[in-house]
Amino acid sequence: MNKWSFLLLVISGWMVVGVTMFGSRQGRDSSGAPLPDRADRIVSLAPNITEILFAIGLGDEIVGVTLDSDYPPAAAEKPKVGTFWQPDIEAVVAAKPEMVITLGFEQQKNLAERLRRIGYNSLTVNIEKVGDLFAVIEEIGAATGRQRQADELISRIRAKLQQLASLIGAEARVRVLWIVQREPLRVAGRDTFINEMIELAGGENAIGPTVHKYPPIGSEQVIACNADVIIEPAMGRDDIESRRESALQHWNKFKHLPAVANRRVYVIDGDTVSRLGPRLYEGTETIARCLRPYLFEN
Amino acid sequence: MEQLLTAKRLILRIGLALAVLAAVMFVCSLVGTETVSLKAVLTGPGTQAAPNPDYEIFIRIRLPRIILAGLVGAALACAGVVFQVLLRNPLADPYILGISSGAGLGAIIAVISGFNWTLWGRSPIAVFAFAGALGTVWLVWFIGRLTGKFHVTGLLLAGVVVNAFFSALMMFLTSIAKSDQVYATIFWLMGNMREGDFLVLWIAAGCVGGGIVALFYIGPQLNALSFGADDARSMGVNVARTRTIAFGIAAAITAVAVSLSGLIGFVGLVVPHGVRLVFGPDHRQLLPMSGIAGAIFLVIADTLARIIVAPAQLPVGVVTAIVGGPFFLIILVKYSRKVSWLK
Amino acid sequence: MSGIIEVDNLTFGYTSETVILKDMCFSVRPGTFVAIAGPNGAGKSTLLNLMCRALTPNSGTIRIDTAAIESYNTKALASKVAVVRQELVPAFGFSVMETILMARTPYYGSTGFETRHDREIANDALEATDTARFAYRPLTSLSSGERQRVFIARALAQNSPIMLLDEPTSFLDLKHQVGIYDLLKTAQVEKGKTIVAVTHDINLATQYCDEILLLGADGGYHIGKTKAVLSAEKVKEIFDVNVFAGEIGPEKFFVPLGKFANDKRKMNKESGNI
Repeated sequence: MNKWSFLLLVISGWMVVGVTMFGSRQGRDSSGAPLPDRADRIVSLAPNITEILFAIGLGDEIVGVTLDSDYPPAAAEKPKVGTFWQPDIEAVVAAKPEMVITLGFEQQKNLAERLRRIGYNSLTVNIEKVGDLFAVIEEIGAATGRQRQADELISRIRAKLQQLASLIGAEARVRVLWIVQREPLRVAGRDTFINEMIELAGGENAIGPTVHKYPPIGSEQVIACNADVIIEPAMGRDDIESRRESALQHWNKFKHLPAVANRRVYVIDGDTVSRLGPRLYEGTETIARCLRPYLFEN
Repeated sequence: MEQLLTAKRLILRIGLALAVLAAVMFVCSLVGTETVSLKAVLTGPGTQAAPNPDYEIFIRIRLPRIILAGLVGAALACAGVVFQVLLRNPLADPYILGISSGAGLGAIIAVISGFNWTLWGRSPIAVFAFAGALGTVWLVWFIGRLTGKFHVTGLLLAGVVVNAFFSALMMFLTSIAKSDQVYATIFWLMGNMREGDFLVLWIAAGCVGGGIVALFYIGPQLNALSFGADDARSMGVNVARTRTIAFGIAAAITAVAVSLSGLIGFVGLVVPHGVRLVFGPDHRQLLPMSGIAGAIFLVIADTLARIIVAPAQLPVGVVTAIVGGPFFLIILVKYSRKVSWLK
Repeated sequence: MSGIIEVDNLTFGYTSETVILKDMCFSVRPGTFVAIAGPNGAGKSTLLNLMCRALTPNSGTIRIDTAAIESYNTKALASKVAVVRQELVPAFGFSVMETILMARTPYYGSTGFETRHDREIANDALEATDTARFAYRPLTSLSSGERQRVFIARALAQNSPIMLLDEPTSFLDLKHQVGIYDLLKTAQVEKGKTIVAVTHDINLATQYCDEILLLGADGGYHIGKTKAVLSAEKVKEIFDVNVFAGEIGPEKFFVPLGKFANDKRKMNKESGNI
């Protein structure tokens, strides 16, 4: 036999051997297996998931978080397993988790699958809208045996939001322009959880429907949107202060915009509005205070 | 090298190189963001309820990833050797004929179309990227042939045009895609090493290994081709057959590499030159040694990518360029008296 | 050994409008040294390329050792015809020995390496071309003359009965020109090779080649014994240049006469002979 047929034979044999050895699901693969209903060692790969876990009483069971999990303060003390965008699979495994909870975007979904393939239970959740939030709190509660605490948390949040709604009553909605980035100018669009919070706070987005969630916009659209209020979230005390100081000067070029003319540009602490989590009410109330300050003077 | 290449000498060199590769792979598998003790690894996997993390990290995460890096490095380096001799162009790399943009287009189509199914558990991005890469090569080959029987310039131009067209398509799709989809695609394309599962690794090893052996078989013919198609033909080499085999195999192993790990540059361009400078241009030696050198290079680069900015990870392509560049310059200066086209 | 080239009714043109070679019929007997000469564009290199199947004729046939040239596969044709071309492509740093051994590629063992027989043949070729002292130097470190000898050695290593050369001495100095032709003549005489060389130098052709094939710019051609075919008139007809034809003993020589040649008027009176 010539060397080519020999090579072909060897390669075919190699493939056959490989398929028989590895073809069937290997021992520890847990894809498709149902999740257990309790877990004593949990790794959370997103800050809002961490907040939920703490809020339903699982703070002690957490054995790993990503670098940006900073609330509640106890979360910052937990061992780190990488960043939100690049979780470190080795650190996750080293933490010997019984359950890993991830968000649903590509990198984390992929990581969850890899973990399942090597036998770790992982739960992937999507928290993109307010409705998702309540569903996910229930889901996490069910998976960790804390259904009661989960239900209580959901009721608490709903009750407070209800209270806020009655306080606002049927007043006309305030037009809000939500600034994500000053240069180049990017705002929050209608297809975001921020928009939902704005509406829960009695406002409406000054920007109409857009293709992108956080679109860059031009000066024309700013003028045309006729916003009553401009809200700029900022992170950290230094950023908040510097933005407040430069706000008037920066927005002066739109001096005919009602928000600027009436000096209703608010730089707020972005902590409670940067992620969709159990502090939903706190964030919504912060926004409501900007829209109708008179309601809260007591 | 002052002596002729013989089978014995080649086997010896390959053996030594493989030993170096094994040593490098072993050392690199002990390195990572978590400290892993070898003794703990050897105690075994532990139970389902209480797994041994050292074992898990070493065997299920690090080792597969390192093997993958080795395979991809070998595939890209050998493909680079082939494209450099086929196109008679020292600047050729495995992506020169549009493979990179084809794979990228496949990837972004997979992400945007939101396919959620997995092919036997493999993500659709890899499958689409593979199909995109192979499809593009076929397209370029087809267009190139329209300019006349294997006109090298025609082929290169076809590659440039197809590259430009597909890149434009990619940019268009990127601009209308949602931001997390875009990020996912770009991140994947930048080159990433994930621990594949053993079946995928096994099959990939079979393809890449088989491909490199087949290329070795036509090594003498590739040597003759270095002198031009006419000369090679007068010496009795079936030029058309050699080109078809070489081209097909190089494209296939590049597509496999790209679908496994995204686009990692620099390896396919520079490793062949480095190996050629040290060992000479005889393809019977150049091919296996480039494969092994590519594997060693990428394993080291990947390890650095894992630990330099831990706990975050650099894209491997960044490390290959930053590490490879100066290293190659050193080789170039030291061995440059052998190189004709530098004079 | 063989080495017969037969050309019947060969017609060829690169495009359908321009035909360079028209209806050529000739044959080259084994062991002959033939020169192909003619003005630029007459089709000398084209004819050579047709004879090694780098080009296909529009009509007509070429036979190598009585079999049609299309009937040979690449390896078989290489065992019959070796070619030495003009463009010396310095590839990536191969050594002289490696270059010569490449001629044995179709005969390598199944491992893809040269056999001892191949290495003997290569050594013989090195000896014949006096290039043994460069054996392990890179090809690109040699002078053009030395490199040309290496390519001839490679052609010799093919062990083929026929050798085709395209202007083998065009960039060489006088000593190397003579050296190359001596080499080729030795190959013809000692090994019985059939040698066909395209050349611009009619003097060397006269000295070394048994026969000459003159190609005219209009597609006409003459073939025959060199000394018989070449004369001052013939040279003027084919090359459109006045020459002084002289003889020294059995050797003929031709000196071109341009506008400023001294004895032009005198030679015109005694045109063609002394």
